[in-house]
Amino acid sequence: MLPRLDIDRTRAYPPRVTAFTQTFWSGLQNGEFATTRCDACDKLAFPPKPICPHCWSTRLTWTPLSGLGRLYSQTVVHAGPTVFASEIPYRVGIVDLDEGVRLATRIIADTEPALDAAVEIVTLAYRDGPLFAARVITP
Amino acid sequence: MTRNVAIIGAAGLPVRKWQTAPGDEIQVLEHEVLAKVVIEAMADAGADKNDVASLVFAQPRPYTTQKYFATFMANYLRLPCTGSVVEILGNGMTAALAFEAAANDIRLGRAKVALALGVNFETATPAVDHMMNSMRATGDVDFHSPFGFTPISWYAMDAARYIHEFGSSRAELASVAVKNRRHAALNPIAQLRKPITLDDVLAQKPIVEPLGLFEVPPRGDGAACIVLADEEVARARGKPYVRVRGRGFFHEGAHQINEVPNDMIALVAAAKAAQAAYAEASVSAQDIDLAELYAPCTIIEVLASEALGLVPRGEGARRCSEGETSLGGRIPICTSGGLQSRGHPAHVTPFYSFLEINQQLTGRAGERQVANARLAATSAELGNYNAAMVHVLEGVG
Repeated sequence: MLPRLDIDRTRAYPPRVTAFTQTFWSGLQNGEFATTRCDACDKLAFPPKPICPHCWSTRLTWTPLSGLGRLYSQTVVHAGPTVFASEIPYRVGIVDLDEGVRLATRIIADTEPALDAAVEIVTLAYRDGPLFAARVITP
Repeated sequence: MTRNVAIIGAAGLPVRKWQTAPGDEIQVLEHEVLAKVVIEAMADAGADKNDVASLVFAQPRPYTTQKYFATFMANYLRLPCTGSVVEILGNGMTAALAFEAAANDIRLGRAKVALALGVNFETATPAVDHMMNSMRATGDVDFHSPFGFTPISWYAMDAARYIHEFGSSRAELASVAVKNRRHAALNPIAQLRKPITLDDVLAQKPIVEPLGLFEVPPRGDGAACIVLADEEVARARGKPYVRVRGRGFFHEGAHQINEVPNDMIALVAAAKAAQAAYAEASVSAQDIDLAELYAPCTIIEVLASEALGLVPRGEGARRCSEGETSLGGRIPICTSGGLQSRGHPAHVTPFYSFLEINQQLTGRAGERQVANARLAATSAELGNYNAAMVHVLEGVG
């Protein structure tokens, strides 16, 4: 189960949900972090996809991810789009999960984190639905 | 028989805020502005209007009210065409793709003369609203945009990684902005020309950490036209021209980040596109006399100059701070002032690179002239250099 942070407002720019990706988003709401693994070539995709981007097979299986990884890079955004005005400045980054998957997300850290720091994925439970973020693990 | 393509003329509007607000009584409109630039470019080329058979446009921004802009302009310029009349879109690479499409019509024998042209008006839309568009172009709408990634936030993460891996200093990175402003001071069409110091750059408010205001591009409007021709037409004019010697393109099949972790700051697309362009031109990076790189932020000029082999990996920022990439240095980069100072009307930005190289390789760059310049490289990109187009250009005559 992912750690869960409750956030008492709605998401500024909610993702669209399809019949396929609702497995990901409803799982995230329940503290699960999963993506698709190809039955033919065994490779993971992220974001989850109804096709394998590597070999174009359409036989895929939802697979849980550990949610553990390293911070590849990060920045703090001081000039952002209208919908994020109330959140500025905010920290975003790129995370390499232990399973060999790279993703981009919000970063939760009290101070500027060192790159390559260990991070964990957390569920951000907004009033209208979930997002995820990576939180720096303090040793 | 493969036809050689030449640049025989070019013109560009000074980059600045031109666009009027929707409510203004008197409007500055895209088609009038661009038409004058076309006339100027054709006069520069000394080409015959009747030889122009293709019009390849960079697609305007969504804020341009006149739609089907290309066909509207074919009428406005009263220019029947047998090659193409088309608008092209490819984010920051848009104008380089338009240049290529125009060149292809010449290579295919469909046009003796082809225009690659466009206008980018956007400044009447405030930055915070513009980013509502641009964040959807430089990210996955469902898996990146909800977190608030802006176009230049990706470049900022390149900067953080570069400093982490190579121990480059903030001052070394910031020296790129100082150098580009120094170049822009000599360029009459540059947007920001007042000289700045390293302290000025480092004192700016942060935009996307660690990059401050002077290390990211200002917003601007621009319009440009490049006149391309079959080399036989170019030669018959009896004036210097620029030959397209090589072209390389690579899209790494990734959008902003590679879902399989890779070395993000190697700019693999730029490296592969450059290798292809150098191979086609039968040159190596050491043969290049100057380069006009598509680099919205200081860090990107550093990374692109490394990926193109113009400076050693991990040393680009330091080499810039030591003057190696300045006018008068070993390999002058962005003599126009680059995107931070010449300006960055994004859909036409690569046209301004060709314009600068055209002036340099025909010996008409004035105070910015690189002595004995013969071979130049240009780059264009989209995303976080996930795709790149590199050209090798040669001055003839």
